[in-house]
Amino acid sequence: MWQKSLDHQNLSEEEEKRALANAPSLRFRFILAGVLVIGIIAGLAINLIFDYSQKLADLSYDRLLRSALLQIDENVSLIRNEVSIDIPWSAFATLAQADEDRVFYKVESLEQGFITGYQDLNSTPPKPPVLDQIQFYNQEYSGELVRFAWLERSLTDPETSQTVRIVLGQTRLSREAMSTAVTQRAVEVVVFIALVALTLIAIGSHLVLQPLHRIERALEERAMGDLTPLDINTPKETHHLKVAINHFMARLQTNLEQLENYTADAAHQLRTPLASLKALAENARDNTSGDSASPQAQQQALENIVKQCDALSQTVTLLLNQAVVSHRLQTHRLEPTSLLEPIRASCRAQAVTALHQGVQLSLDCDLSDAVVLGDSFSIQQMMQNLIENAVRYSSLGMNNATEVIVQVSAFERFYRIKVIDYGNGIPDIEKSRVFERFYRGRYDIAGSGVGLAMVKDIVDHHSARIEILDTYPKGTTFQVDFAKFIFNEDTV
Amino acid sequence: MRSAVVFLFSALSMMPFKLWAAEPVWFGNANAPRVLAIDSAMDLASFEPILKAFVALHPDVRVVYRDVNTLELYYLIIQEQKHPVASLAISSAMDLHLKLVNDGYAQTYQSDFTDNLPDNFKWRNQLFAFSIEPIVMLVNKEAFPGDLPDDRQSLLQTIRQNEKTMTKRIGTYDIRESGVGYLLASQDARQADVTWGRLLEAFGSHDVQTYCCTHDIIDDVASGKLVLGYNLLGSYASQRARDDSRLKMILPKDYTLMLMRAALIPKGAPNAADAGVFLDFLLSDQAQKMMQNQGLLFPIRPDMNNANDPYVVSAPGPTGVIELDQQLLVGRDYAKQKRFIRNWEMALEISSED
Repeated sequence: MWQKSLDHQNLSEEEEKRALANAPSLRFRFILAGVLVIGIIAGLAINLIFDYSQKLADLSYDRLLRSALLQIDENVSLIRNEVSIDIPWSAFATLAQADEDRVFYKVESLEQGFITGYQDLNSTPPKPPVLDQIQFYNQEYSGELVRFAWLERSLTDPETSQTVRIVLGQTRLSREAMSTAVTQRAVEVVVFIALVALTLIAIGSHLVLQPLHRIERALEERAMGDLTPLDINTPKETHHLKVAINHFMARLQTNLEQLENYTADAAHQLRTPLASLKALAENARDNTSGDSASPQAQQQALENIVKQCDALSQTVTLLLNQAVVSHRLQTHRLEPTSLLEPIRASCRAQAVTALHQGVQLSLDCDLSDAVVLGDSFSIQQMMQNLIENAVRYSSLGMNNATEVIVQVSAFERFYRIKVIDYGNGIPDIEKSRVFERFYRGRYDIAGSGVGLAMVKDIVDHHSARIEILDTYPKGTTFQVDFAKFIFNEDTV
Repeated sequence: MRSAVVFLFSALSMMPFKLWAAEPVWFGNANAPRVLAIDSAMDLASFEPILKAFVALHPDVRVVYRDVNTLELYYLIIQEQKHPVASLAISSAMDLHLKLVNDGYAQTYQSDFTDNLPDNFKWRNQLFAFSIEPIVMLVNKEAFPGDLPDDRQSLLQTIRQNEKTMTKRIGTYDIRESGVGYLLASQDARQADVTWGRLLEAFGSHDVQTYCCTHDIIDDVASGKLVLGYNLLGSYASQRARDDSRLKMILPKDYTLMLMRAALIPKGAPNAADAGVFLDFLLSDQAQKMMQNQGLLFPIRPDMNNANDPYVVSAPGPTGVIELDQQLLVGRDYAKQKRFIRNWEMALEISSED
C-alpha cells in the first residue's frame, strides 16, 4: 500500500533553501580534496627542488673549486728543501667563472708555516683531515659565507718531507644565483602544473556532476503523474542511480495501480450491500404501506435490514482496519511483544459473534508467555480475520460444523498458531489464490475478499510463514509460524 | 703627477710649485654644503675638466681632489679602513683595486649607469671601470737610432744593434714603487713570458732607468734624456705626443695591453651618496664624450664615428685587455709578487735596498 508522509513533504521554500545552504557540497569536497592533495604534492616537490638546486649548484661550482685547487696544488714544489708555490693564472681564470665571487686562499706548510695567501685565513675542515683528500665545506670569512676546498698533501724529496695545506675559498653568490634560477624555474613549472590540475579538477567536477543535473532536470520537467522510466543517456557511474529511480517509479506505479484497484473494488464492495440494503428497505416500505402488511412480514423485513447493516458495517470496519494495519506496518517499528495477548483479545472479541452463528470458538493454549518481534494491533487484526474466516466457513455447509479451534504451541525456534475449522475446506487449486486481494472463493458467502490478503501482508511484514492445510476429516487449518524473539542478554 | 705642471700652470698658477701635488685641490663653491673627497692616482690634467663640469652640474658639492700614487692609495685605504677620508678612490692599478674589493674594503653601489655598464667593466657592483686605454711605448724620434720599433721584438733588436745609444736611455716603471708599473710588468710576463724575460735581460744589461710615474718618463723622453719609454699609460703619452712633434706613441704590434681605470667607494666612506653621483657622472655620456673630445682619457664607450680620433684605440696587433676579475689576484699573490720583484731586481741588477 502507498504511504503518505505529510510531515516530510510540506517543507516551506525557505526551509528548503536553508537546507540547501547547509547541505554539504560534493563539488566543494571534491575540489577541496584536490587542492589539499595537489598542495601537499606541490609543497613536497618544491621542498625537494630547493634541496636539489642547492646541491646542484654546490656540485657544479665545487668542480670549479676543485679544479682550481688542483691547479694550485700542481704548482707546489720543493725547491732547495723549501716549499715553493707559483699560483697559476689559469687557476683563478677557472674561479673567475663565478664572476662575482670573492676568492680567498692560503697555502701553508706544517713545517715551514705560512707560504702565501691570506695569513689570517685559519680554516679547519669539519671532518678529520685525510692526506690527499679534498674536503668541501661552508664557513664564514671576511663577513661572508665562503665555500672552502681544503687539501693536505705531503711533499717528499730524498732529503726532506713536508706537509702542505692548501685552502681555497669562494663566496657563494654564483651558487645562490644558480640555485635560485633553478628553483625559480622549477617552482614556476610546479605551480603551473598544480594550477592546471586544479582547473581540470574544477572542470572535471562540473562535468562529473553534469549527468546528475541532467537526471534532475529530466525529473523536474516531467508532467504530473508521468511515471514512465527515465529515457536519457547517462554514463556508467550514474546508470545505477537512473535504474534505481526507474525501479522506484515502477514501484510507485504499481502502488498507484493497486490503490486505484483497491478504491474501485472497495467502492464495489460497498455498492453491493448498499444496493441490497436499499432493496430490502424498499421491500419493507412496500410491505408496510400495502394492505397485506402483516406485522410478521414487517418484522422480517426490518430484521433483514438490520442484518444487512451489520454486514455493511463489518465490511467498512474491515476496510478501515486494513488501512490502519497498513499504516502501522509502514510506520511502526516492530517491538518485542507478547503473542498471546492479541490472540486472546481477538478470541474474546469473536467468541460471542461466533456463538450467534452457532459456532463454538475455543482457544487451546497452555503457554504462559510467548514473545515475538511484532506489532500487537496487527497480530490481533490477523487473528481476527483468520477467526472470522474460519467461523464464516464453518457455519455453512451441509452438516453445520460447530467448532473452531485456535491452537498456540511452542517449538524450538518459533511459535505456531493454528486456526482450525471443520467446514467444507478449500480445494487445492484455490489454496494458492485465497491470499489474492479481492479473491473470493465463494460469492454466496458474505466477505470482502480483502481479509486474507491483509493476513498475508501482516504475515509477510513479520517475516512469518503461513500455510493452508486440510483439517481431518474435513475443513481447513491456517497455520502461522512466528519466529521466537531471541532475548540477547549481552545488550541488556 | 708631481710633474704635471706644464698642463696645469694656467689653471692653477696661484698654487705654489710642487706643493699642490701633495696638497688636496678644491673645486666648486667654497660654501657648498657637501664635500666629495676623491683620492686618485690620476693626473689632474686629465681629470680637471671633468671635475669642473661636475661641480658646475652640482653646485652644492665641493670636490677635494688628492693625487696619490697607486701603491700608496692601496695602503692608504687599508690604513684608513676604520675612518676613510676618501669618498671615492680612483686608480689605474686595477689589481690593487680589485684586491681591495675582494678583501672587503669597498661598498656596493648600484644605479642605472652602473647597470648599463657591461659586466667586464665592473666587479660585484663595487668596482667600476670608466676608461680603458692602451699601454704604449713612447719614442723620441730625433734621438732614436734607426727605424722606430713597432713591437717588442724590433725593440730588442734595436737595443742589441745600438747598445751604446740605448744604454741608460730606456725608461720604465719601478715596479716596486708603482702599483700600475707592477701590474703592467706582471701582465707582460703573463702575455709573453719569453719575450718578457729577454726584454728584462736587455733592460738590465743596458741600465734601464726606473721611475715612479709616467710623467717623469715622458718628460725625459721629450728632453732627449731617454730615447724610449716602455709601458706608458696611453692617455698621458698621447696627450704629450699630440703637442710635441718629437714624440711618437707606438702601440706594440705583437700585443697591446689595454688597461682600465677603475673607481671604488671605500666601505664606510663619508658622503658615499655624492661619490655615487660622481661615479654616475663619470659613466655618463657627457663625461665619456668629454674624455674623448678633449683628449683626456680613453672612454669605455668611444664615439666610433670619428675614424681618425687618437682616442679611439686602433691597435695594429692584438689587444690584451687586462680583465677586471679575480685573475688579477694572482699577480698580487704574496709569493708570486715577492719572486717577481726579486727576479726583476736581479735582472736589472738593482739591490732591494734601492
